[in-house]
Amino acid sequence: MTAIAGQGGGRQGSAETLAPLLSIRGLTVRYGPITALDGLSLDVGAGQVISIVGPNGAGKSSLLAAIAGTVKPAGGQVTFKGQPTIGQPLEQTVRRGIALVPEGRHVLASLTVLENLRLGATIRRDTAEAAREIEGFFKTFPILGERRNKSAGRLSGGEQQMLVIARALLSKPTLLMLDEPSLGLAPKITDQIYAMLASIREAGVSILVVEQNAARALRVADRTYVLNGGIIRMSGTEAELSGNPDFEAAYFGLAPRGGAQ
Amino acid sequence: MAASISDRIGWRPAARDGLRRLVPLAALVGIVLTIVLLAGMGDIVLQRRVIFCLIHVVAVVGLYIFMGNSGVMNFSSAGFMAVGAYTSALLTMAPGMKSTFLPDLPAWLAAAHLSPLWGALAGGVMAGLMALVIGIPIMRLSGIGAAIATLSLMFICYIVLGNWTALTGGQQSLMGLPSYVGLWTAGLTAMVAIAVAFVYQETRGALALRGSREDEVAARGSGVRIVRERLAAFVVSGFVTGIAGVLYGHFLGTLRVESFYLDLTFLLVTMLVVGGMRSLAGAVIGAIGISILTELLRLVEVGFVLPGTSWSIATPPGLGDVALAAAMLLIILFRPQGLTGGHEIELPRSKTSTSGLATTSGNTGTANV
Repeated sequence: MTAIAGQGGGRQGSAETLAPLLSIRGLTVRYGPITALDGLSLDVGAGQVISIVGPNGAGKSSLLAAIAGTVKPAGGQVTFKGQPTIGQPLEQTVRRGIALVPEGRHVLASLTVLENLRLGATIRRDTAEAAREIEGFFKTFPILGERRNKSAGRLSGGEQQMLVIARALLSKPTLLMLDEPSLGLAPKITDQIYAMLASIREAGVSILVVEQNAARALRVADRTYVLNGGIIRMSGTEAELSGNPDFEAAYFGLAPRGGAQ
Repeated sequence: MAASISDRIGWRPAARDGLRRLVPLAALVGIVLTIVLLAGMGDIVLQRRVIFCLIHVVAVVGLYIFMGNSGVMNFSSAGFMAVGAYTSALLTMAPGMKSTFLPDLPAWLAAAHLSPLWGALAGGVMAGLMALVIGIPIMRLSGIGAAIATLSLMFICYIVLGNWTALTGGQQSLMGLPSYVGLWTAGLTAMVAIAVAFVYQETRGALALRGSREDEVAARGSGVRIVRERLAAFVVSGFVTGIAGVLYGHFLGTLRVESFYLDLTFLLVTMLVVGGMRSLAGAVIGAIGISILTELLRLVEVGFVLPGTSWSIATPPGLGDVALAAAMLLIILFRPQGLTGGHEIELPRSKTSTSGLATTSGNTGTANV
């Protein structure tokens, strides 16, 4: 598992043996009487890609929100690089190296494409290096390069999603979290988005991606967790899960353990 | 697609980017300079009207620095102008004048006699300090909360200054300010204010603030500390607005607390909204446009004879205020981004490609798949 990630992750060789990059233990999130997450535990190792799949309302977004600091959990612990993240505001989480691409493509519609990217580098002091990265991004995605001075709201859905991911990367995160990156996109565009994720991973960034699109999520991830009713029903690699009848059952909440739901 | 093709046959972005970025600033400074030069050829009455207009430009630019970049309502401009005006007045008036009008002034203040420049800076700094102190608690507010808080701040300034008789003369006029503000003083200050606003809006902090204006979660997700960035803008805004107050006092030579109240507040907000609160060009054009409109309406109110005929036209009094409100209403209904549509003045090519579609960009953003 560690062999895949390659060089970029820094001290990941030792990190894997010592402690995972992100560690979640017994995380519980409640909205009034409704329990969205019920004692969830999982780890993301340095350089790993972890995906969480599950239907609507499974608790996927709550998980990311609790890690990022936009939702206050009722219980449990989240540690990132060995330090607790719970109770930290969102803007602080980013500074520690967790970037969140929220659901629904939050482009800053009336700012230009270039301004959107520059905003992504807000927390960085190496402005010149950030500017080079932005130019590099425009070379990789010429469509966006051509529209650098156009307002971001005029981009297509797929272009907006790429822009938001690139913006998140400009904060130089150690961990990138994505909430439903393929939602509402055509399959061809989704391919591009996932190709982008693959190259991000090559650069050594760990990824935690939440998806309804289970097939996609399985293919990209080192390990996939099936979340339903706030509980992890099943987990495994693509080889273990794809074609496994229990996987579908777990996804739809029909597995033996989930039968009570 | 058409836009990207015109991009390719046009200039190469990187080459002229540097100079191009200064075009919006140069255009606005050019407009103000032209107005000053033209007014210089006119009579004294016209010049006084133009000076008033330029002071309003400074005040609206000050308002824009905070409200335009952050998108948070601010109704406290008049209060900052009052603080700037009285601070400078008390520090620059001749001690003899002060002992006549303000006999109860503390001794050190009664003796203070700064040069106009230092007095003006002190006025701006005092307004900036007020922004800092008040801003710390209220910068977390946005929407209706911010509107009420800043309006209250303006009322507080009005009531405190109006009742602090020892310092301001209370409800009486304070007279005897050195009236050093002429056409060029007002014009140059307006140009400097525009430059300050322009330099500020090019900073990373201002970009972060505009990001938070568009989408608070996305901005925080990029690490923007919204309260801190708003506070910085509020302080710069307070300083510039305070300077506008200084000009006001030293132009008229007299001060009344009454002048810094609701009328002025709504005039400044109207100027910014009509011009377009999302661009510096909007602030400047709004201030100039509304000044011209009110001036024309004042002429109509007084009554004039149609040239070449014997018809004289005079409208009922109060038309000016009604027209101002109507202008605001029409803009909000039909062009919510203001006359400039939230754009800066750019060279023709990029203007044609952005202005047509820009007003709809906010909506199409989420609708595309």
